[in-house]
Amino acid sequence: MGPRRLMAEYSNYSSWLNEMRSRAWSIYQSTPTPTTKSEEWRYTDLSKLFPLENISLEMNPEASTKRPTKEGLTETINTAGRVQFTDGLVTNIQLTPEMESQGVGLDSLQHTTHEKHQEIIKTNLSSHVLPPESGKFQALNAALWTDGIIIYVPKNVHVEMPIRGKHQLDSRNPSVCTRTLIIAEEGSHVSYVEEFGSDDFDDKHIVSSAVEIIAHKNATVDFVSVQNLGRGIFFQNAQKSLVHRDASVNTLNVNLGASLSRLDLNTQLIEPGANSKMLGLYFGDEDQHFDHNTSQDHLAPHTGSDLLYKGALDGHSRAAFRGIIRVHSEAQQTDAYQTNRTLLLSEHARADSLPNLEIEADDVKCSHGSTVGQLDPEAIFYLLSRGFSQQQAERLVVLGFLGDVMARLPRGAFKRVVKNVTDAVEQKLRHG
Amino acid sequence: MPKSELVENLDLDNYKYGFVDSESHVYRTKPGLDESIVREISRHKEEPDWMLEFRLKALKVYESKPMPTWGGDLSDLEATLNEIYFYVKPQEQTERSWDDVPDNIKNTFERLGIPEAEQQALAGVGAQYESEMVYHSLKEEWASKGVIFDSIEDGLKNHPEIFKEHFGTIIPTADNKFSALNSAVWSGGSFVYIPKGVHLKTPLQAYFRVNQERMGQFERTLIIVEEGAQAHYIEGCTAPVYSTDSFHSGVIEIVVKKDARFRYTTIQNWSNNMYNLVTQRAVVQENATMEWLDGNLGSKLTMKYPSCYLTGKGAHGSIMSIAYAGSGQHQDTGGKVVHAAENTTSSIISKSISKEDGRSSYRGLCKVHEGATGSRSNVECDALLINNTSRTDTYPYIEVDEKRATVGHEATVSKVGDEQLFYLKNRGLSEEEAMALVVRGFIEPIAKELPLEYAVELNRLIELEMEGSVG
Repeated sequence: MGPRRLMAEYSNYSSWLNEMRSRAWSIYQSTPTPTTKSEEWRYTDLSKLFPLENISLEMNPEASTKRPTKEGLTETINTAGRVQFTDGLVTNIQLTPEMESQGVGLDSLQHTTHEKHQEIIKTNLSSHVLPPESGKFQALNAALWTDGIIIYVPKNVHVEMPIRGKHQLDSRNPSVCTRTLIIAEEGSHVSYVEEFGSDDFDDKHIVSSAVEIIAHKNATVDFVSVQNLGRGIFFQNAQKSLVHRDASVNTLNVNLGASLSRLDLNTQLIEPGANSKMLGLYFGDEDQHFDHNTSQDHLAPHTGSDLLYKGALDGHSRAAFRGIIRVHSEAQQTDAYQTNRTLLLSEHARADSLPNLEIEADDVKCSHGSTVGQLDPEAIFYLLSRGFSQQQAERLVVLGFLGDVMARLPRGAFKRVVKNVTDAVEQKLRHG
Repeated sequence: MPKSELVENLDLDNYKYGFVDSESHVYRTKPGLDESIVREISRHKEEPDWMLEFRLKALKVYESKPMPTWGGDLSDLEATLNEIYFYVKPQEQTERSWDDVPDNIKNTFERLGIPEAEQQALAGVGAQYESEMVYHSLKEEWASKGVIFDSIEDGLKNHPEIFKEHFGTIIPTADNKFSALNSAVWSGGSFVYIPKGVHLKTPLQAYFRVNQERMGQFERTLIIVEEGAQAHYIEGCTAPVYSTDSFHSGVIEIVVKKDARFRYTTIQNWSNNMYNLVTQRAVVQENATMEWLDGNLGSKLTMKYPSCYLTGKGAHGSIMSIAYAGSGQHQDTGGKVVHAAENTTSSIISKSISKEDGRSSYRGLCKVHEGATGSRSNVECDALLINNTSRTDTYPYIEVDEKRATVGHEATVSKVGDEQLFYLKNRGLSEEEAMALVVRGFIEPIAKELPLEYAVELNRLIELEMEGSVG
């Protein structure tokens, strides 16, 4: 009942959205809740961790009425644009005048009045990139999203500094579904950094994010997502990228918070020369549960992908990684790599790793590796012999282990992200 | 040696074990499977009641389990299973001397070189033809030390206590659909008992031959290696080439007790119309070592993952596997290691070659239970692709529940490098010879572990299969 009511009210600029939502809603309803019998959910038992029956799907009632404020951005040193999300609504959105003058678009999906943006949204949103058929939660998000953003970068425009998005949960009853659509036209360049944060909750909520990225010929999109939500939350994050000729989509997903966090990340390298770097970092403690489900689809020759996911687990936390490289038969001269490394810091932590390869072309360079282990005793010994305490030594080794991921980010533009993430990891280590 | 001579020496029949004998059997059940067939098999074997009950219960489990949807394509198997013969009795009893084996069957094994190998290099030989062991013999030297090497049926008859203690305990009936099927209709296979402290100097060998068209062979082997004992068991498998599919589903249970050491070598070279779905598992106790050496060259589809359950402190498990998937073949193979005690170690090395539209998949599990402190496991998979229609997959499952353990997995996929070929051609080798040499180099780490005659055979096969693979 709730979702249906919201659907009608959302129809601000076109009826097609309503149709899309109701189609997605019926897919959501007819798709069974994933169980551990499904290979993709083998290590995450939703019926135990997060029984969906108990979750309110009532979204923010102000979704259709509350319009974002919009002002020019004054501070332009490190930021090209800024978006503030509160309880799933875009409450403030800003872009530097310089970017605006070059035709860069940063707009609310729900409230845009810009005709061109509306047209792009209609063509691309939840259709050919991440349709509701992709899965139960992808359908849920497509039916119930309250707001989200479109980033549009015209041909050959370089957005040097990142656009930043901040998601906050303030009210006490939110389940949240938001979407991001990024279109980078030929030869353009853009980076988007989103951060999710909240306090802890006593009861259970779902925070759902769906990200669709299209990088046209020779474009580069850097996408960073940092999740540090409070306990009680199931963070469900689906991301899919289409990478065209000679284009690059690089992603970093940092998961530190939430009780349960599930990432479905799919990169499609659809034309020759397409490339993707996929980085991931996670740190779990107490009874946190992380599940990363990644896929690298090589559909054209001369494509490359390189995935590195590293994490550390303390307390009773668990992490599952299921990654697959699929090299289709047309994708000759492919280079594809995949690495997952997990440190177990506690007796009770658990890591499961399924790095898969399916290779149907013969002229390829492909490898994967996965390790699960404890802190390197030699590294600890070395630091002890240099006068560090056991605790300090352990912290340094963990930070060094995870820092390997952060070190692969391009320098400069992401300085702030690196600092925020490092601070958050250090804080978790102090509590451990 | 000039190329032409080299090829001639190799007897260019691609599958040289594909010959057929005239059909001969003293009894066979009607095609397909139902309860009456299970009763019939048990009656022919004059089994105790408990075994008949065991079989009937297993049949129910088999019927209740769905066909697996993972691994290879089993969509045609249901139809195949309705048409095959589940039990074909070739002769009345297992013979101890080749002279007593019927001529046509003896000729088959002579063509396969079994009696000759027995004299030269083996401690004992078993030969299975269709559903029964037709020949089983052990050298007196070992029999006098208490070693038992019998057909599984004779094991049940003559050593009921040891048999019942272990049978079905390592691989429970309900482990998977095909272990349940085997438990219902098992026939043939070996019963091996190595007494405490006995070191067998030469291997035991069992040879499995299917001659009947549309045949189902359900070998069941039970091996008990007592404390401090050491032995090596080799199995080989071949069948004629028919246009209809046949089915082989074995269950091999092994216990390796404290300080013992056991190696199980398989050279599976079934014809390309054989489904080969096998469950093999060893329980490895304190400080014992179990080694699986698994060569899968033949069959239409093989699904086989030899396992080591490391249940005693300091136990070690090793799985070395090599798979070759030629046209029309899918080798879905790998291994499982379960670390359930302190300081257990394991290693899996898997190499596969896929040619034409062949597909080889590595599927493996490495599990470390909480409490298995100090455990270490390492898995390495390398896949070589020969043609642009070849396919390879890697599906490792890594589950670690213990902090003080170290687990690593690595896999690479590559093709034979143009530079490697160019270098060898520069040195005067033809392209095909160069290809064969590179492939031989690729499998060498495992081939060198094989008994000599198998290593030679493997190398020959590679050479043959690389014919015409260039370009």
